[in-house]
Amino acid sequence: VTVITEVETQEIEGQKTEAGAKSARQTLSELIGQEDTLGCIRCGLCSYTCPTYRVERCESAAPRGRIALLRAVAEDKLAPSELFAHKFYDCVLCAACTAACPGGMEVDRLLLEARRGLYAAGLVPEKLAALSRQIEASHNISGEDNARRLVWSENMEQRPAGAEQAQADVVYFVGCVGSFFPTSYSIPQSFVKALEAGGVRYALLAGEEWCCGYPALLSGNVDLARRLAEHNVEAIRQSGARRVVATCPSCYHVFTHVYPELLGDVTRDIGIVHSTELLDEMIKEGRLPLKPLDMVVTYHDPCDLGRKSKLYEPPRAVIKAIPGVKLVEMASHHADALCCGGGGNVETNDPALVEKMSARRLAQAQDTGAQTIVTACQQCKRTLTGAARREKARLRTVDVVELVCKSLES
Amino acid sequence: MVSEQIIRELTEVVGPAYVHTDPVDLQCYAFDATFEEWRPDIVVRPATTAEVAGVLTICNRARLPVIARGMGSGLAGGTVPAQFGGLVLSLTRMDHILEIDEQNMTATVEAGVITADLQTAVEARGLFYPPDPSSIKHSTLGGNVACNAGGPRCLKYGVTKDYVMGVKAVLADGRILAAGGKPIKYVTGYDLPALLIGSEGTLAVITEVLLRLIARPTVTMTGMAVFHDLDQASQAVNKVLQAGFLPATLEIMDDTTIHTVEEYLHLGLPLDAAAILIFESDGRDRTVVQAELDGMAGLFRSAGASEVRVAQSEEERNALWRGRRSVSPSLARRRPNKLGEDISLPRSAIPEAVRRIKAIGRQYGLPIAIFGHAGDGNLHPNIMFDRRDAEEWARVQKASAAIFAVALELGGTLTGEHGVGLLKRPYLEGDVGATAVDVMRAIKRALDPNGILNPGKIFVH
Repeated sequence: VTVITEVETQEIEGQKTEAGAKSARQTLSELIGQEDTLGCIRCGLCSYTCPTYRVERCESAAPRGRIALLRAVAEDKLAPSELFAHKFYDCVLCAACTAACPGGMEVDRLLLEARRGLYAAGLVPEKLAALSRQIEASHNISGEDNARRLVWSENMEQRPAGAEQAQADVVYFVGCVGSFFPTSYSIPQSFVKALEAGGVRYALLAGEEWCCGYPALLSGNVDLARRLAEHNVEAIRQSGARRVVATCPSCYHVFTHVYPELLGDVTRDIGIVHSTELLDEMIKEGRLPLKPLDMVVTYHDPCDLGRKSKLYEPPRAVIKAIPGVKLVEMASHHADALCCGGGGNVETNDPALVEKMSARRLAQAQDTGAQTIVTACQQCKRTLTGAARREKARLRTVDVVELVCKSLES
Repeated sequence: MVSEQIIRELTEVVGPAYVHTDPVDLQCYAFDATFEEWRPDIVVRPATTAEVAGVLTICNRARLPVIARGMGSGLAGGTVPAQFGGLVLSLTRMDHILEIDEQNMTATVEAGVITADLQTAVEARGLFYPPDPSSIKHSTLGGNVACNAGGPRCLKYGVTKDYVMGVKAVLADGRILAAGGKPIKYVTGYDLPALLIGSEGTLAVITEVLLRLIARPTVTMTGMAVFHDLDQASQAVNKVLQAGFLPATLEIMDDTTIHTVEEYLHLGLPLDAAAILIFESDGRDRTVVQAELDGMAGLFRSAGASEVRVAQSEEERNALWRGRRSVSPSLARRRPNKLGEDISLPRSAIPEAVRRIKAIGRQYGLPIAIFGHAGDGNLHPNIMFDRRDAEEWARVQKASAAIFAVALELGGTLTGEHGVGLLKRPYLEGDVGATAVDVMRAIKRALDPNGILNPGKIFVH
């Protein structure tokens, strides 16, 4: 798989504008050749950990099947179709396949690359194409006026200090879901309270914060993702802060793993941390007066934070630092953690599939006997909360920052 | 091609969501874990034995080949459609553990239950299902029974057939056969479950299995012995067994395997060794298990091992296993394809077999790594190659035939675990003889007169 360069994207976009001069097969196979698929020895081990395979029990919902499809296109045995595209946009991109692959193949990277090829070939599902257009127009996933980025803070007793901060050490990158989705407002609200309790000088970018680009990337629109990334990096530079902190693990993953590929060296001197890392740091420095909570909790590793960014311990350290909180692990955790189903933007495309996956993860959480699922991702929180509601499970899902805030305020 | 009428009838049986005819879906069922690739005409995914019966009734009438398939992890091309095309019958939706009978220590499972899932379920109740093919997480019990799967634990605990007490299966004409049961002693009539074990989907479609369980060993200890001489290693294995030890596993890796793993993982494996043995003892009494492991370690030392290590902790145990578990991935990194054979030999023939296979590798200019189960004589010579290179592929085929010849010359057999499938079919008669093939054909004709069940597998029907 090639590293995405600007020139290549221009070429692909150019091909597309030549009035469909190239077939979808040509477009896709020029991006993903036979060589890119040969690392798959077809052993099938990835099926066991693949969340879509385990609920569908169907080879075309398994990484091995998806790779076989790409290979068949590269070998001119198959033409990409809408059904073909569906198999890739139904993947949660949780990277459990990459973790399982005995051959060390970066399967999730290939599957993401496939979406890029499908986008270029005009085979992106309409709902995702529409989302891309919306992000392009409004610079966020909700389609609201981006100047209202701080809407989440409007019902707070005290306006966040970061909204006024002229000189800051850290930029808090809130992310679209935390900014605009009312059920997620409490995540940024809790986090700014924790930052303020710990005496952190932070700034909010307000309307200058644009979508991180991940949803565009998930649709396959790499060019849009790059433009969003360029803007965000420039806005952070303008703030004068040396560090960026994100509560959203997808924003964090994109900043740490995708921006360097899209933009090269320009991101090198910006330090990115996840909220759980910063909280862990503040707790270790004794800056957060945590008070006891009597709770048994289990921790759900978000894919973008755990498997894809290797941050397993900071959230656990934060949870364990709260007196009275007992952490019990689910049957699969750390690198083996099951995706909640909320990844890959499958929700936009196939909500029924997401329901099946989230029910499986919820069952694992229920088996622990915990009363609360703690996670570190607003998307995982939404997905697991929805699953608990459907299954009528007496199990709440909260973000680590909400748990910390509760401990500070108890 | 399957007619619209047949597709309609099949859809009535299993429902529209579980009948697939689009090339995109068919392509995903064109292969197993080998390099074989043949696209089926249709894929059907039933949920019950009754649905399987309905599907087979239709296929038998239409003379449509039926290839039963679990998770498609086979290493002999047994679940690819071959030149006949036909219907791939995927049993992965039949994934329910129907009963775990703690009193009688049995489990009744549907064919599509993943082997590792059953093991997790029974181990939670202090029970144990020992067969452990390396595909434990990506193969199903139906497939394990249809291929009589083995694994490292088989020297001590036996293979899949030693745990099958009964089966439910659908015959080619759609009738449902239930055979065997919970009594341990069961000699009423022909042993029909035994007939279906290892039949690779050619005699019936297994939909349910009744499995024997034992008490779960609670202690496992692991050691490693390094030998600079292959004969010494082989003799050491025999000494251990003759002394009355029954290791839970006894795995061997040859020098090519050691080098390939070391290149990939840098574990610090001894590159000047001729063979590494990994041995285990398990049981329910720590003192007894420790004594057995120490006893084996002592025998390996006195038999000429240059180094013997015994794991003192779970981490050390994992470290010892890491090399063995990394064999397949290491091989996969070396070349795009590998042909993994599983010849089975009288134990005493192992050193000679390894020497001859190495000579075959040199003769045909192919890297061949040899590893496997030293305790039971089941070796995995793996040829690494690139299938796209026609000239190299021709050499691979010759080398493969030569390896089978070695197995037969030394009193062994073609396959110990993987089955015959498509890939070993040309060598069958040379191994079992014309009379045995005639008997197999007669059984096949009696049960499947129209030859619809997995045609072209094991032998030409």
